[in-house]
Amino acid sequence: MKPYTVIGLCLLIVVLMILPLLASRFYLYITLQILMLSLFALGFNLLFGYTGLLSFGHAAFYATGAYATGLILKNVTNSLIPGVLGGTLAATLLALIIGFFCVRHTDVYFSMLTLAFGMMVYSLAWKWRDVTGGDDGLIGIPRAPLQIPGVFSLNMKAVSNYYYFVLIVTLLAILLLYTIVNSSFGLVLQGIRENSHRVEFAGIPIKRYRWIAFVISGFFAGLAGALLAPLENTVAPAAADWTKSSEPILASLLGGIHTFAGPIVGSALFILLKETVVRYTEYWLLVYGIILLLILLGLRGGVVGALIQFKAKAKR
Amino acid sequence: MGSKEVGRRDFLKYGISLVGTGVLGSQLVYPLDPVYAQTEKKGKIKDPIRIGAQATLSGPFGGYGQFMKMGAQLAVDEINSSGGILGSKVEIEFRDEELKPDVAAKNARYFVDDWGADFLTGLDASSSALGVGAIMGELDRVLIVTHGATEKLTENLVYKQGIKQIFRISVPVYQDGIAAAIVAKDFPAKRWVTIGADYEYGHTAWNFFKATLKKLRPDVEFVEEAWAKFLTSDFGAHITKVMAANPDGIYSTQWAGEAVTLIKQAKLFGVFDKIQTWMTPMGAAMDVLEGLGKEYPEKAWVTCRYWFQYPDTPENKAFVDRFYKRWNKYPHYVSETTYSAIYAIKAAVEKAGTVSTPEIIKALEGMTLMTPAGKRYIRPEDHQAVYQVPWGRITHNPEYPFPTLTDLKVIPAEEYFRKPPFVEA
Repeated sequence: MKPYTVIGLCLLIVVLMILPLLASRFYLYITLQILMLSLFALGFNLLFGYTGLLSFGHAAFYATGAYATGLILKNVTNSLIPGVLGGTLAATLLALIIGFFCVRHTDVYFSMLTLAFGMMVYSLAWKWRDVTGGDDGLIGIPRAPLQIPGVFSLNMKAVSNYYYFVLIVTLLAILLLYTIVNSSFGLVLQGIRENSHRVEFAGIPIKRYRWIAFVISGFFAGLAGALLAPLENTVAPAAADWTKSSEPILASLLGGIHTFAGPIVGSALFILLKETVVRYTEYWLLVYGIILLLILLGLRGGVVGALIQFKAKAKR
Repeated sequence: MGSKEVGRRDFLKYGISLVGTGVLGSQLVYPLDPVYAQTEKKGKIKDPIRIGAQATLSGPFGGYGQFMKMGAQLAVDEINSSGGILGSKVEIEFRDEELKPDVAAKNARYFVDDWGADFLTGLDASSSALGVGAIMGELDRVLIVTHGATEKLTENLVYKQGIKQIFRISVPVYQDGIAAAIVAKDFPAKRWVTIGADYEYGHTAWNFFKATLKKLRPDVEFVEEAWAKFLTSDFGAHITKVMAANPDGIYSTQWAGEAVTLIKQAKLFGVFDKIQTWMTPMGAAMDVLEGLGKEYPEKAWVTCRYWFQYPDTPENKAFVDRFYKRWNKYPHYVSETTYSAIYAIKAAVEKAGTVSTPEIIKALEGMTLMTPAGKRYIRPEDHQAVYQVPWGRITHNPEYPFPTLTDLKVIPAEEYFRKPPFVEA
């Protein structure tokens, strides 16, 4: 990385670190939403932008992470880390199973399969009332303390405390994903996207690579969901709905899918835009839709992609 | 690939700085210091008193939200034109809950933490009410739910988990299940079936109905169930399935547009010639009455959370008149419950002399209120308002452009409101 990229990054992290001093509880909450959607969209984009596989069912992993975390915190242990880890693990396992079937196909067949599996998880959340609470959802999930028994225990009741937890987890996860996409594994994924036949001729088992990418992607979606459950204290089937699956798609497209930071920028835009529009009009859906359309049609490669093009032109 | 490598670094750089400006920018556009701090002033009541309201304002159930707004606006205007609450004006803002609990929770956070709401009210979907209810302890404002009917809101969140900030002014699902069974016990019908809404509300209502009726009338049988998922438009298969069991009575939990569609289709299938009784707990809602009009069969027994011709009191008549004059419509039940919620807030603030949440909770617990729907008593244990709404049979009344209710069955509220300590149904 160039030095001023590093400086910019450090500056951003410092701002995020001192945000609880600057902002009210509501803006912390909005920032939390941006962080969680960023995780969700980054993981999604590993499949979409890097591997060339468009999933319509990622809410399945998001919801599994949220529900499993909720169930663990409610019934098993009142400790944050095992809850979040357990939820993420459950989502990863599900991605392992669903991915096994989905990566056998590409293009629209892949997308439709993920959509079908996503709807299955949604129906399960809706119908399996004894476990998930049906359409009322899982209620009474505690925001458990961060603790290692006998060593320390941090109360998470205040949103600002929880914010730090989510921020640190998110930053670590982003670093992890950045390392993955810049490894040789990440390069192979991009090769599969560009020309899967050629990669196959090189002796690389592409189905296995796609499967691994799918599982990593499910892991990140699950982590995002796992962080949601203690924040909201409830999880409802809406978390598994296909409209939830569309959020990382839109966020990635808005920000730019062929860039690492695109989904993060897109997530911020997606949430801040909606938050602004609903303040001014009851017909927010219409206005919001038009703005999204304009950005998607007007800026090829998303906001980040357009900035790059602009910079390239300016250099010439 | 080479050019992409370079590009990615730039992307990262720009991306990160954009997020940074985004987050910072939002801080510059909106005020930095939390508005909610203002409400903590001692002694003097703040001005204005702010109420954040939510309802479903978009989509196929959007009509509910409009009716809720009408009731709320009427109450706010009346209060403001007669001097406000202890001299303070009331300000209300509505947001769309979209029938999604996460959206409803975010709206609630916006209202309290950013807009400076002193009270929250509204909420149509049970799941939205539960989603907002779960964080009310953290937000520490009083929430008065005016529609979402799940008994878990009061029994679980308030009574068991002790989230004392939650209140509900509308009738819970007890009315739909337990009261229905008390009415049904006097009918000759012995073989009962359900065409139910396939979500928590439909199942809970049917379970309450079955358990209560079996206790009151051991000779009844429950012979078939057909469950229709949300937004069903063709009930043919459901109707055929339950009719095959040769029922005397059909209990159905569809509401709004779905209830209209179901009853129209049941008529086409000749259901009403073969059965003795049809019960629809939400069938007295204004949208269903208007939607079916002359087609509403007189065999149907219905109720809702408030029926504008009951009780026959001057307060209720005056309310209906004022509502009609203002909006040129008869009040829907959500109009009355939201109207009364705002008057409950007024009564509580006047009693407490402050908007501080613990004082308001104390003032509301055990309060008795005179409202258009009659006397409401707010049960201290679970914060549920206890009042009664009659069941009635559909009749076609030339005085109104829609059917009304006759043969009213008024069951004392104490008989069908479950009592704490609550046990699972």
